[in-house]
Amino acid sequence: MTTAGKKENLKQLQERGKATIPTNNVESRNYSLWNFWVALTVLKILLFPGYYSTDFDVHRNWMAITNKLPLTEWYFEATNQWTLDYPPFFAYFEYILSKFVPKYVIDDGCLDIVEVGHFSFPTIFFQRSTVIISEILLFVVLQIFINKSKINERAANFIVASSIVLSPGFLIIDHIHFQYNGFLFSILIASIISAKFEHYLTCAFFFTVALCFKHIYLYLAPSFFVFLLRVYVLNIHKNFEFKSYKSLFGLIRWYNLVKLSFVVLSVLLVCFAPFIGSYKQLLVRLFPFSRGLTHSYWAPNFWAVYSFLDKVLAMILKTSPKKDIGVPNINTGTRGLVQDVEFLVLPQIEPKITFILTLFYQMIATFPVLFCPNFKRFLGSLTLCGYASFLFGWHVHEKAILLVIIPFSFLVISDRRLLTPFRLVTSASYVSLFPLLFTSQDFLLKILYVSVWCLIFFFSLRDVTKISSSVERRVWFFDRIALVYIIGLLFMVLACGFLDAFVANHQENYKFLAKYEFLSLMIYSVYCSMGIIGSWLGLSWLYNFDEPLWE
Amino acid sequence: MGKKIKKNTKISSSAHSKNESSLSFPIPTKNGVILNEKKEAFYASPLYDFLSPLRPVNHQWGAEYIIVFFALIIRCAVGLGSFSGYKDPPMHGDFEAQRHWLEITTSLPISKWYYYNLEYWGLDYPPLTAYHSYVLGYLGSLINSSWFKLDDSRGLETLDLKSYMRFTVILSEALLYIPGIIYFCKWIGKHTHESPINQYIAAAAILFQPALILIDHGHFQYNSVMLGLTVYAINNILDDYYVPAAICFVLSIGFKQMALFYSPIFFAFLLRQSLFINFPRFILISVATVLTFFAMFVPLYVFGGLDNVLQCLHRIFPFQRGIFEDKVANFWCVSNIVIKYRELFTLDELKMLSLVLTFIGFLPAFVIILLYPKKHLIPYALASSSLSFYLFGFQVHEKTILLPLLPLSLLYTSSDRNVVSLVSWVNNIAVFSLWPLLKKDGLCLQYFAILYLSNWLIGNFSFITPRFFPKWLTPGPSVSDVSVAYRRRSLLPNSLFWKVFIVLSYIIMGAIHLCDFLLAPPDKYPDLWVLLNSALCFGCFVLVWLWTNYKLVLLRNKTFKSY
Repeated sequence: MTTAGKKENLKQLQERGKATIPTNNVESRNYSLWNFWVALTVLKILLFPGYYSTDFDVHRNWMAITNKLPLTEWYFEATNQWTLDYPPFFAYFEYILSKFVPKYVIDDGCLDIVEVGHFSFPTIFFQRSTVIISEILLFVVLQIFINKSKINERAANFIVASSIVLSPGFLIIDHIHFQYNGFLFSILIASIISAKFEHYLTCAFFFTVALCFKHIYLYLAPSFFVFLLRVYVLNIHKNFEFKSYKSLFGLIRWYNLVKLSFVVLSVLLVCFAPFIGSYKQLLVRLFPFSRGLTHSYWAPNFWAVYSFLDKVLAMILKTSPKKDIGVPNINTGTRGLVQDVEFLVLPQIEPKITFILTLFYQMIATFPVLFCPNFKRFLGSLTLCGYASFLFGWHVHEKAILLVIIPFSFLVISDRRLLTPFRLVTSASYVSLFPLLFTSQDFLLKILYVSVWCLIFFFSLRDVTKISSSVERRVWFFDRIALVYIIGLLFMVLACGFLDAFVANHQENYKFLAKYEFLSLMIYSVYCSMGIIGSWLGLSWLYNFDEPLWE
Repeated sequence: MGKKIKKNTKISSSAHSKNESSLSFPIPTKNGVILNEKKEAFYASPLYDFLSPLRPVNHQWGAEYIIVFFALIIRCAVGLGSFSGYKDPPMHGDFEAQRHWLEITTSLPISKWYYYNLEYWGLDYPPLTAYHSYVLGYLGSLINSSWFKLDDSRGLETLDLKSYMRFTVILSEALLYIPGIIYFCKWIGKHTHESPINQYIAAAAILFQPALILIDHGHFQYNSVMLGLTVYAINNILDDYYVPAAICFVLSIGFKQMALFYSPIFFAFLLRQSLFINFPRFILISVATVLTFFAMFVPLYVFGGLDNVLQCLHRIFPFQRGIFEDKVANFWCVSNIVIKYRELFTLDELKMLSLVLTFIGFLPAFVIILLYPKKHLIPYALASSSLSFYLFGFQVHEKTILLPLLPLSLLYTSSDRNVVSLVSWVNNIAVFSLWPLLKKDGLCLQYFAILYLSNWLIGNFSFITPRFFPKWLTPGPSVSDVSVAYRRRSLLPNSLFWKVFIVLSYIIMGAIHLCDFLLAPPDKYPDLWVLLNSALCFGCFVLVWLWTNYKLVLLRNKTFKSY
C-alpha cells in the first residue's frame, strides 16, 4: 500500500474511532510527571551494570572524605587525586549521603580514603540509587511548575517539563557517566520558576543555594543579579524627575534591598562560615586556573573551532615551500591529555582573553534586562549568558552545555522562531556528549535515546509554541540549513563509530592509523561546535534585533 | 514547601470540577461498569497515557517510531547486564555457544559444520541458524578478526565482543520480529475497527513482553528470529497468502526446530484451506514447502554429501538425551517427584509415551482448526498446540515457554479485557518459570525491573495510583472522569474463579520468591524452591492449555470482532 493510501486509511479509521472513543481534550488531561518518573527509573536501574566514568570514584571519594574527616580538613585532604572541588553545600550533601551508607556497602570499600577506590557492585548500587533518589527533586519542582501554571499554558509547560526530565543530558551525564546534575539543576530550575511567578526572594534564595552547591552557576549570576536588581530593588518609573540627590534615593526600594541581601548573605554565611579560616585553600580548590584552555577533548565551543583552524593552517604552512616560518612539530594539539594547548600558528589564548570575551557577551545579554525587564527577556539573557560562558570560557566541560539548554527550554515555547536555534543546540550538544561514553556497549543506546528524544520534542514543541506575529520574517533558509545539519549529525556519529572501530582494531596492521586515534573526537567537537555557534548566532539575532518577540 | 503543594492541590482540584461541568463526555458508565469497555482494553494504563497524546491524525506516525525506539532502548539496557555463562569456564553458556557457532561457520567449510568438536557446543540447530551465524560472524570478523578465530577465540568475553553480539540480537529482532508484530497489530486493528492508537498500544504491549526480552537480550539467544518468521507466516495467512505463509513457516523451522511445536496447526489450516477448496493451491503449497526445505539443505548436500545432511538431522533431534534435563515446569519434571520415570521405563518407552501424550495434547486444537479453519482461531490454536508440546514433549528446555507465549501475547490485540488480563497473567507466570535460569545468569536486577515495567505499562498496577495518590499526581485523564472507571482497572478477568486463581498464584509466586531470598532450602531437598516454582507454573500452564481449548470451542463460529 502506498503511504498516501495508508494515511487515507488511518484517517478513515480515526474518524470512525471518534464516534465511540472519548477524545482526549486538552482540559481533560491531568498533567503529571509520575509516569515519566516510573518509566525512567526502571530504565536507570537497568543502566546500573553499565559503564561509569572516573567521576564515580570522585564522588565516592568525597563521600569518604566528608564522612571520615573533620570539617576543617575536607578541603586539604589529597590522598586521592580527585580532591574535593565543589562548594561546601555539595560537601554537606555528600556528608548526609554518607550517613545513609549501609554496613554492607561500607565493607565493600565505599567509604575508604584511598588513592584509587576499590569497590564492587554494592557501592555502585548505592551511589547510583542516590542519584535516582536525589533527582526526585527535579520531578517535584517541575510538577509544582506545571500545577501552578495557568490552564491555557499547562500543556506547553508540561511539554517543557517532560523535555527536561527526559533529557538525554541527564541520562547520559548522571545515570551513565555519573554526576548529580539532575538534583543540582532542580535548584536552579526552582529559582527560574520562582522568577516566573514573581517570588523574587525565593528566586534569590534558590539561586544562591544552587551557587553554593556548584559554582559553575556563577556563569548565570550576571543575569540573575541584573534581573533581581531591576525588578526588585530599583524603582524606576516613567515620570522620574531629578530634583536633588534625595530623589535618587527614591530610586531604590531600601526595604527590598535589605530583605534580598539578608537572604543572599545568610545562605552564603551558612555555606561558607565553617571554612572562613581556610578560605585561601577553598579558593584554590574551587578555581583551579592551572588547567588548560580546552578540556581533555575539546568541548564543542569557539575554541574548538579555533584549535581546528590552527591545525589546518599549520598543515598548510608545513606543506608550503617557504620553510622559514618556524612551525614546530605538530601532533600536540589533538592528543588526549591536553594540559597546555600551544597554538602553532594562531596567537596563544590567555585566560584574560577568555574572561573579557565571556564578560563582553554576557553584558550584551544582560543590558536589555536592565532597560526593560520581563520574564521572557530574563530567560533570554540567562540562555545567552550560558552560551557566552560555554563558547568562550576557560577549560569548559562539554557537560556545561546544560547551562544553556535548561533555561532555553523554558524560553522556547514563547515563539516558534526560537525553535530552530533550540533544535540546533539540543541535537548538537546531546550528540557532543557521546564521546563521554566511549565504551561500545553504550553506542546504540545513546544514539537511540537521543534520536527518540529529538523525535518527540522537536515535534511536540512545534505544536505548543506560539506562532509569532512576524512569521513572514522567518529566515526559512536558516531553518533548512539547520535541518540538513541535524540529519548530518546522525551520519557523523555513525561514521565516527565506524572510524573508531576500524582504528582500534587495525592498528597492528596499519601503523599509520595510530595518528588518527583522536580524529573522530576532533570531528565530533568541530561539527557540534558549528551547530552550537550557529544556534547562538540565531538566538542572539532574535534577542538583540527582534522587538515584538520580547514584549 | 508543604503549604505550597497543598495550595496547588486546591487549584488543580477546583480546575477539575470546572472541567467536569463543562465537559461531561468521557466514558459512559452504568452502575460503575463501563459500557464501551470493549473498545479500549488498555484504558487507564500508562501505555495509554503515553500514547494517547498522539491520537490526532497528524501525530499518529510518531507513535510507531516511539514504541519501537523505546522497545529497542530497553533491550539495549537489559543487554548491559551479564549473560549466560559469563565468567564460568570451561563450558560457559549459551552466549559462548552462539559465539562458537559464529566461529565455526566462518572458519570451517560447510562439510565440517555439524561434525566439529561436538563435545564443545557442537552445532545442533537447523541450517538457517548456521547461515545466520555465518553472516554475523563474517561481519564481526571485519570489525575485529580475533573475535571468531578458530579455537583461539574460545571463551572470549571482551566487552567489545559482547557489545557486538548484543547488537546482532537487536538487529535480528529489529529486522524480523518487530515489523511482524506491528503489521499483525495493524491488521487486527483494521479488521476490528480499533483506533490506530489502540493498535499501537497493543503492539507496545507485545513488544514489552518480558520473557523474550530477558531470554534474548539477557540470557542471550536468537529466539526472536524464529518467532519473527512465525509471525510473518501468521501475517501471510491473515492476508490469504498461503504459499508465502508456508515458506515463512518452513524458514522458521529451519532456524530452530522448536517451531515444529506450531506445525500441527499450520498443517491443519493450510491443508483445510487448500485440499478440498482449491487443489492447485494445495499443490503450490506442497511444492513451496518441499522446495524451501530443499533449498535450506542444498548447501549442506553440495558441500558435504548426504552424510552431512543426515548428521545435521541427527544433531537437530537429540533423542538420545533424557526426557528432561534441568527443572522445567512440564509434566515429566513435576510428576517425576512422585513417579520415577527413569527407573520404571526405558528411554524408548518414554519417547513413545511422550509422543502419545503430546499428540493427545494438541489433538483438540488440531481438530477444531481442521473443522473451522478461521483466522481468528489461529493464536489460540497455536498456543494450545505449542503448550502441549511444552508440557508433554521430550527433552524440553525452560526457554521453550517462549513458543506458547508468542501466540498468547498476540492476543493482546483482543478487544476483550478478560483475554488481555489472562495473557498478562500467563506472561508473568512464564517469566517466573524462567527465574531459576535468570538467577543463575546473574540477571536478578533485570528480571525484577523488566517484570515490573511490563506489568506497569499495560496497567496491572493502575488500580493503585488513583486510590492512594493525590489527584494532581495521578496521570492520564483527569481524575474526575475516572473515579469510578479507573479504580476497578486492576486488569483481572471478570470471572470469580480466575480472579481467585490469579491472585492466589501471585501470592504463591511472591512466597516462593521470599523463601528463595531468605531461607536456605532443607538439605534433603536442595532444589525445593525450584521444584515448587516448576510445580506452580505447571499447574498454571495446564490451566492455560485448558483455557485455550475452551476458547477454541467457544469462538469456533465467531469472527475477529469478538476474539
